[in-house]
Amino acid sequence: MADQYDDTYTESQVILTSVKIIAPFTLTYGLFMTFHGADTPGGSFQGGAIIGVTILMLAFAFGIEPTRQWLSNSTLVALIAGGVSIFLGVGLATMALGGAFLEYELFDEVLGIAPKWGMETIEIGGIALIVAGVVITLFFATASGFTPERGTDSSSSPGSVAGRGGDRDSENGGDDDD
Amino acid sequence: MTMSWFAYTLMVFILLTAVTTALFRDVLSAIVVFGAYSLGMAIFYTFLLAPDVAMTEAAIGAGVTTILLLLTIARTTRPSTDRLFERVHWPGVVAVGAFAIVLLWTVLPEMVAVGAEDAPVWANADVTQYYIQHTYDDTGVQNAVTAVLAAYRGFDTFGEAVVVFAAGVAVLIVLKREVFA
Amino acid sequence: MIEYLDTHYTYVLAFVLLAIGLYMMIANENLVKKVIGVNLFQTAIFLFFVSVAYVEGGDAPIVPAETNPGELLVASPLPHVIVLTAIVVGVALTAVALALIVRIYAEYGTLREDTLREVRADE
Repeated sequence: MADQYDDTYTESQVILTSVKIIAPFTLTYGLFMTFHGADTPGGSFQGGAIIGVTILMLAFAFGIEPTRQWLSNSTLVALIAGGVSIFLGVGLATMALGGAFLEYELFDEVLGIAPKWGMETIEIGGIALIVAGVVITLFFATASGFTPERGTDSSSSPGSVAGRGGDRDSENGGDDDD
Repeated sequence: MTMSWFAYTLMVFILLTAVTTALFRDVLSAIVVFGAYSLGMAIFYTFLLAPDVAMTEAAIGAGVTTILLLLTIARTTRPSTDRLFERVHWPGVVAVGAFAIVLLWTVLPEMVAVGAEDAPVWANADVTQYYIQHTYDDTGVQNAVTAVLAAYRGFDTFGEAVVVFAAGVAVLIVLKREVFA
Repeated sequence: MIEYLDTHYTYVLAFVLLAIGLYMMIANENLVKKVIGVNLFQTAIFLFFVSVAYVEGGDAPIVPAETNPGELLVASPLPHVIVLTAIVVGVALTAVALALIVRIYAEYGTLREDTLREVRADE
């Protein structure tokens, strides 16, 4: 039964080559969509999702665990928490200026910034970061599955996804017997 | 005159993939067919003038959801089977058949035709027409969807962002990952 | 019924997809397939919203700066926004459900609803 899970990563020339070709374009497209969402179809939800999917593609090509270590956990947490804080910060800033939550017109009246830039901050700094970060986090969390103890994880060498998976499966197998 | 033959073909494709998703016994096959269904749905949204929704559906519905489902069966189990289709669950068919017939017989005649200019949602002067007329003057952006998302209904969007954030936290707690360490 | 297929085709499709999603939630014993059923049900609702916003012969909801907005024929942006956020919330919901499924499998060693009920009854 445990052997069944060990094949989560196989180094495949087809996947590796196609991801190497496609990934720069999807990342550019996602960024374009995020930054240009004000005037063309697109926006932060779509762009953030595509940026997140680019990382998922890389994880499929190069292995999930090496990608997770390259993109450290604290980066992801910073992305999500930063996105929520920027969104909340802009909203509270308008309230501090004496208006309602996210009343962008106040930026124009008080600081002389066009209301558009308040929206762009929300879009690029807020929603895009949250969506991209959450998509990547959910992927990594689901990929590593349920870990009763983390002790065995830290001892495994970077890049040995199969070995790691094997460790965990034996743990899970132990749980099943109860 | 409604839609082109391509749109009708797409609807048949969506329907067929949905039915096969429900009936395939092998979970892996069902997931792959469901990915095709999401992609067909994304193309259909562009026919319905919703490119923003279509792009999100293509990236998230066909991409992320499929990957998460695949990871789940890689992490748990994929029941081996020698039969192609599930056994049809007749009480279930009767129940959902009655549900569909009630919807089609009671709700459908009350709906305005697809794309009619007097449809209540589209013709509403206070909501849809207001957004279309005032988007550029009020916010300075040309994409009305972005304007509604970030400006007119920014507070709603903030709520959604917090919900997504909470879901990320919930997954980490359920799976006991020490990502926040 | 048949005459509506020409004018109400997206609503018909949405209702049929609702029924298929509901069937998957009721009839399939495998928990992963139940989650796929929830997703299918969701997309049917999204289709309903998007077709409510649709206007025949119109354009995507882009309001060009230089044209007079009075003569614009574009789809309604509001249902699009609702669906947009619902898709992202939907994938978050799916992920939480799948995390619970992984946890259930680690605990009980099965994903079938009937077996799960027996195992829980035995305890």
